[in-house]
Amino acid sequence: MTDAPHRTAPGLEVNALHAGYPGRPVVRNVDLTVPAGQVVAIVGPNGCGKSTLLRSVARLHRPESGTVRVGGEDIWALSRRRAAHRVALLPQSPRAPEAVTVAGLVRYGRHPQQGLLRQWSKEDENAVRDALDATGTTELAGERLDRLSGGQRQRCWLAMVLAQHTPVILLDEPTSALDLGHAVEVLELVREVAAAGRTVVMVQHDLAAAARYADLLVAMKDGEVVARGEPSGTVDEALVKELYGLEADILSAPGDASPVVVPRIRRPV
Amino acid sequence: MSDLKPTKGPVPSAPRVGTADVTPPDSTVLRAGTLSWLLPSRSALAAALLLPAVAVLIALAVMASSTGMSLSETVSGLLGTGDPGTVMIVRDFRLPRVFAGLMVGAALGIAGCLTQTLAGNRLATPDLVGVNDGATAAVVAAAAGSTTGMVGDWWLGPIGAVVAAAIVVLCAGGAGGAGYRVLVTGIGVSTFIGAVGDLIMSRENDNTAGGVFLWAVGSLNGRDWSVGTPLALVLLFLVPLALAVGHRLQLLRFDDDVAASLGVDLRRLRAGALALAVALAGTAVGVGGPIAFVALAAPILAQRLAGPTRVPITGSALTGAALIAAADALGRVAAPVELPVGVVTSVLGGPFLLWVLFRPDRATGKA
Repeated sequence: MTDAPHRTAPGLEVNALHAGYPGRPVVRNVDLTVPAGQVVAIVGPNGCGKSTLLRSVARLHRPESGTVRVGGEDIWALSRRRAAHRVALLPQSPRAPEAVTVAGLVRYGRHPQQGLLRQWSKEDENAVRDALDATGTTELAGERLDRLSGGQRQRCWLAMVLAQHTPVILLDEPTSALDLGHAVEVLELVREVAAAGRTVVMVQHDLAAAARYADLLVAMKDGEVVARGEPSGTVDEALVKELYGLEADILSAPGDASPVVVPRIRRPV
Repeated sequence: MSDLKPTKGPVPSAPRVGTADVTPPDSTVLRAGTLSWLLPSRSALAAALLLPAVAVLIALAVMASSTGMSLSETVSGLLGTGDPGTVMIVRDFRLPRVFAGLMVGAALGIAGCLTQTLAGNRLATPDLVGVNDGATAAVVAAAAGSTTGMVGDWWLGPIGAVVAAAIVVLCAGGAGGAGYRVLVTGIGVSTFIGAVGDLIMSRENDNTAGGVFLWAVGSLNGRDWSVGTPLALVLLFLVPLALAVGHRLQLLRFDDDVAASLGVDLRRLRAGALALAVALAGTAVGVGGPIAFVALAAPILAQRLAGPTRVPITGSALTGAALIAAADALGRVAAPVELPVGVVTSVLGGPFLLWVLFRPDRATGKA
């Protein structure tokens, strides 16, 4: 387990959260406490409420009941802008302004800190530069975002989210559109971000990646948390069966003994 | 899992190694203590080119007339050194009309810029949410109701526009949601309101109908300081609000989730920007009648001048003012009888619209 030396207060606390749409509960009674500096992966089948949970934490979807606290503060009691000082979200397939450059995109991450009298401070400049450095996109700064590859683009979006300088970062399937190499790159970046003291919550479809890069694994089904814990102890045959209705073998990776899920073939090929 | 710990991380206290030039391009940074400003040099350059153009147009517009006036006569009239008749014509008739035109153009330009940004569509104009038809119906109804049959007070325009826009927003189920639904509802509602205006006009005698008609094509004829002064006060109040909103409107170019997680209250922003657009356009229509194409063309031209990443509020104001000044001056010299400014903008606007439709934007690649 990665410990969090920076803070003793939990980075993120979700208590008895219920959220959904009229007549259709999507998230039911979710509790989640994440210490600062940790990575949480939320896994589960499509439609299990992962994204709605993330949106409620990001102050985008008002929960029916329950609280979301960041550093002890109720995120839903804050203004939109103040909430954006505490939580940053990278949605699944975000749309960028047309013709925006990489540096231009990352600069938007500073928007919550800016106003008519504070349009481009030294801190803004440093935050953008650091975010570009941290994501290895410094050389791309002047390029147009829409001319980059998917992997490069995703790193740029991460840079924007990092530039926002929030204690909590939410990522909705940050690697689902990436090839293996770029996915690993992004996940390693996520570890670095957490090591710097930030709390990361990511929705992840790839159980093996979730198990390998997260400190805490949270499995959801039908809006409820059905399993949680340290990844290697949580991912087992029973969980895969419960979440996806699949028979699977769980292997142990040779390098670090993290669990690898291998679904059994149902029909011989 | 300790072996997964990174060897190198973005530790906040570490010395900064960033080398990228991250300052917004074409901008000068001004900093004082905790305050900082960005001066967009490209927009400033565009404004620096537009301002003298507007000044020249003012002089031309003051000069332009079917009765003819030389440059020296115009200047002496402006300075008050000419003969009293010339001074009176220049100062009391032509100058206030030119200034009213400039302000109408600026208001239409900003209103167009706000609507286009809200809708995410370069062809969206304030009249799509019922502004023109609402203002026209109000003015027509007042003219029909008055004993003289004259076109009445300018402030009926913004009131009619706001009422029409409020009906549109109510029918569309709120201004905070998608701009698209508001626009589609607006087309239906404004057709209906326009029909009501036509109905009232069809029952009037030729005299009233003629006066209303001249106004309804868009004309600055006879606009003096009694209109110009309140118009200036309204703009003095609305334009700073539009500038403040413009900074946030950039964020509408992201999808809603990103914009909201960057701290923008989208409902408030959309409702506020729409209200500003309606108030500005309604005021302009109340003063000058429903002058066509300025609200459409000014922001598109300003966008080209300012570059694709900005929301060009100031540029749209200047471009709109220049367009109206030019059209009004042209209308007074181009034909044997004075052409109302709205006729000139319509004639010029048709080809412009085709140009916009058939020439894809370099930056966005779409019309």
